[in-house]
Amino acid sequence: MRFLILLLLFPLPGWAEPAVVIRATELKKEPATDAATVAELAENAALDAGERKGGWTRVKTPGGAEGWVKMLLLRYGGPGTAKAGDTGLGLDAEQINNAQPNAAELSKMASFAATKEASSGFAKRAKLQARPVDYPTP
Amino acid sequence: MRVLFLLLALVLTPAHAQFNLNLDRILDTVKNVSKATKEIDEKEEIAIGRDMAARLLGAAPLVADARLQRYVNNVGRWLASQTERAELPWQFGVLDAPQLNAFAVPGGTIFVTRGLVAKMRNEAELAGVLSHEIAHVLKKHHLKAIQKGAQVSLAGDAFSTALNDSRSEARAKLISFGTEMYSRGLDKSDELEADRLGVVIAARGGYDAYGLPAVLQTLQAMNAEDSAVALMFKTHPAPAERLDALADKMQPTLDAYSGQPQLPERFTVEAKAAK
Repeated sequence: MRFLILLLLFPLPGWAEPAVVIRATELKKEPATDAATVAELAENAALDAGERKGGWTRVKTPGGAEGWVKMLLLRYGGPGTAKAGDTGLGLDAEQINNAQPNAAELSKMASFAATKEASSGFAKRAKLQARPVDYPTP
Repeated sequence: MRVLFLLLALVLTPAHAQFNLNLDRILDTVKNVSKATKEIDEKEEIAIGRDMAARLLGAAPLVADARLQRYVNNVGRWLASQTERAELPWQFGVLDAPQLNAFAVPGGTIFVTRGLVAKMRNEAELAGVLSHEIAHVLKKHHLKAIQKGAQVSLAGDAFSTALNDSRSEARAKLISFGTEMYSRGLDKSDELEADRLGVVIAARGGYDAYGLPAVLQTLQAMNAEDSAVALMFKTHPAPAERLDALADKMQPTLDAYSGQPQLPERFTVEAKAAK
């Protein structure tokens, strides 16, 4: 019973986002190209999208089939998150064009700058590892 | 002497049209030489960038949270260190604005808005956005656009004055022009190039390379009519087009580095002030 209430209060990780696939593809059982195919999805097939794992996003078809598709094939639809009236403050074109310099904020920003060495320690603490990766050929 | 001889030969050429053509070419060469001497050097780039950054901070101040600002500086400086302009005086700032946007200022100053950070889920997504902006600085996209525009609006001498005298009227004009570029936007090809390089820079820093595409997908899901994304959508190619371009050119790189850390926990703690 308590579990049910919890479920109602906190629905399992959202299938909330409606999306479509931009071309025909396979619905995979696991987030991998060589995983078993659960279903064939047609171009523009509607889905509910969930979490991402690497280059894959978990989806559910209207028929209830679940699996993974390549995340770059997904385009989200639906009403979006428009917030009417969220204007006035900050960085609209007009405010940028009419802005006067703020020297105090500029020196404040300089005080937050990190040195190369400090940022390297910061990366190490999270086990981030630098590696050589080539730029794409133009 | 040889030049004189050539000129003489041209003058004596009976075909009039050919003479004009050649003369035009000589004049073009002279013009290009004088343009090249006015190339903005790195010191000037940094100085102009500081002035432009001060203007942007006049439009929106920093989020008043030292922890958030230091965090973004650490992520950004680490990424910039993986590039060919690692020695620039890089600095990063979170602007207190609800709009979703990010800005690269010449010389190594990068801004991201509180509104955009609030939409992110992990450090890899932040790294993706910062890497895109770092790429603009590496490729001098804004600087080149400023230089091009200044040549039209500021006559030869005025441009040198703008570079040399930070209190001159010409300088104020140059900085206004430069700052207005953030409301006009760059060429589409510059944005798509920054996306491709951004993916690489984030991967070099050890992050999940899908951070930038993930943010683009978040933006793509938003309503283009939403005032919070109006300027960003006006000044950038549509997110769906950017995702298409990444799928087209960067899929192998993205997949090769998709298993690297996303760091959602550290992001949640350190970027709390933006939420």
